[in-house]
Amino acid sequence: MVPLVTKDFRRTTLRPRHRPIVRALAEALFSPAGEATPERLDAFVDDVDHFISPASKTLRFGLVMMLGVLRWSPLLYGKFTFFDAMTVDERIAHLERLDRSKVKQLPLIVVAYKTVMTMLFYEDPHELAGLGYPGHARKRYLKVAS
Amino acid sequence: MTATAFEPRAFDHAHHHAPSTAERLPVLRGREQTRPFSAKVDVIVIGSGAGGAVVARELARDGRSVLVLEEGGHYSPQEYGALPPSQSFRRLAREAGMSVALGIGDTPLISLLAGKCVGGSSVLTGAVCFRIPNEVLHTWSGELGLSRMTPDGVDAYFSEVEELCHVETVPHHMRSRASELFALGAASLGVEMKSMRRNTNGCRGAARCNFGCPNGAKMSVDLSFLPDAVRHGASIVSDALVEKIDITGGKARGVRGRFLDGVTGEPGIPFEVRAKVVVVACGSMHTPILLRKSGLDSVHIGRHLTLHPAVRVGALFDEAVDGWDGALQSVYSDHYWDEGIWLNGVYSAVNVLAAAFPGIGHEHRRLVKSIPNLAFFGGMVHDDGGGQVRRWLSREPLVTYKMIRRDKERLLKTIQILGKMAFGAGAREVLLPIFGMGTIKKPKELDFLSGNSLAAPRIECMAFHPLGSAKMSTARASGVVKPTGETWDVENLFVIDGSILPTSIGVNSQLPIMGISMMLARGLVDDFGTHARKAMA
Repeated sequence: MVPLVTKDFRRTTLRPRHRPIVRALAEALFSPAGEATPERLDAFVDDVDHFISPASKTLRFGLVMMLGVLRWSPLLYGKFTFFDAMTVDERIAHLERLDRSKVKQLPLIVVAYKTVMTMLFYEDPHELAGLGYPGHARKRYLKVAS
Repeated sequence: MTATAFEPRAFDHAHHHAPSTAERLPVLRGREQTRPFSAKVDVIVIGSGAGGAVVARELARDGRSVLVLEEGGHYSPQEYGALPPSQSFRRLAREAGMSVALGIGDTPLISLLAGKCVGGSSVLTGAVCFRIPNEVLHTWSGELGLSRMTPDGVDAYFSEVEELCHVETVPHHMRSRASELFALGAASLGVEMKSMRRNTNGCRGAARCNFGCPNGAKMSVDLSFLPDAVRHGASIVSDALVEKIDITGGKARGVRGRFLDGVTGEPGIPFEVRAKVVVVACGSMHTPILLRKSGLDSVHIGRHLTLHPAVRVGALFDEAVDGWDGALQSVYSDHYWDEGIWLNGVYSAVNVLAAAFPGIGHEHRRLVKSIPNLAFFGGMVHDDGGGQVRRWLSREPLVTYKMIRRDKERLLKTIQILGKMAFGAGAREVLLPIFGMGTIKKPKELDFLSGNSLAAPRIECMAFHPLGSAKMSTARASGVVKPTGETWDVENLFVIDGSILPTSIGVNSQLPIMGISMMLARGLVDDFGTHARKAMA
């Protein structure tokens, strides 16, 4: 990466109480069979915080509120537990249910976090290489126009 | 604070041409300022995107002292070109790329991408360049009475802009395999895909234009118009949030604002600039906010926002597509123009594409792993102005959008057409932009899109062209600005950006904003003496 002349603002969004929810979500989305190490998941929570923190106060407040709703959302389906206390398989099933919900705000919680977290998770060079992405290498521009 | 003629040395830590990046624009970074600042110039331009950059260049070339105030930060092409997509979003885009328009009624939530950096959204475009379609110009000049907005009337300005930012046709060999498959699928429906024109010079087909070109090949305004403005004496300040336009006696006299604090990013050190003319070019989402905060009260401010709601359909093939190799966008079709639908070839960074895949856990991972075999086909709708921009709790506006039934039907039809094209090209699975829906494997499974039964909030929708929230008109009662760009309510206050376009244009907005801005900037140059005299009165 080229060193940036313009330095980043230094602010954070996630409080300690939010981090287990983000981590549990990441585990369900990307590590259903334990593919990601605990260290990677911990670092990933920092990545999420880093990404969302330049957004406005309003948007960050909304994102944090969503985490609260997600944590309590198993109650909506009669399960007396928190999202982050569920097993990985239970969390996946729960997220699928939220994703298909007819209450339009519920799929949005899944979509909002899934979008941000997927973008961040698969930005890792090892993940990209694992998908067959060649990095910066390109061939087509070298072809001579016919 | 003491008013002085504008002098860059008045700033702390002015970094001109950092030695490691010789081509770096000499931008003064507001986030590093430690003292209040005041200045006096001929022209203030608020915003450095496709509108503001053009105006700044034209007035600087005319010998006026020009100060460009940009809320976002400054990153050189070398810097942003090396950023991974998420890092690019969080530094260059409003709300780190998470802006949305809230749907009202049977309307999807629409993701909005807008730039917040020196160069504005032009840094984040796909480089696609279309002129305003003649049919739209006929409406403007005929029905709306904007007599100069004819194809002949704007031609010279568009030609000049096209030359300045190097608009060229994408050669066939730069079409990605994904675009070739899109063309193949279109052909199966009897639709011809045409080659796009883009503002590029030396494109290497990295297919990540939306995050800042990694090769400096996209001729965004930070590489075209702004350097020329600076060569002619214009100054650019980043991290400078203009909070209010000073208006006295019905005339704009300058602006007040605050530099964003280098640690918190919140407004901190104040600044004040006096000027003979103030040009607002904050884009369709922020221009209305600034006008309202400055006391303008036209009922049209913030209304009539058009977005070009867009969708993309994924097509999973047996063959390796490697859609990342080639121009991000290279083909389009106006075949369905009469039905308000425009088709564009699309791609993006792999991890950003993966973010929209359906499924959770194992199913999502299966699709992500198949990404080398995926192509994406895109389309957008020529919409009615159902959007509105309002001030609310933070600096960012509340954007709402009410989609009319006709546009929803157009959106559903776009998805259906794209799905058919995907199967027509030989896709074995198709990913529809519908939340909670898995992949489909047969064309017949697209039939449910024929009716209007799908709830619009289930559609995954995005927009890249917010326009029209401070529209131009020939009468005070029907718009915010005159045909010259000057506001109806305040003299010497101009709006020159996408917000003044009076209707949806149906095509990508970068070149239309630049072309219309060039036309209005030339008018401002011609009449500057008159405006200067008014300012002195």
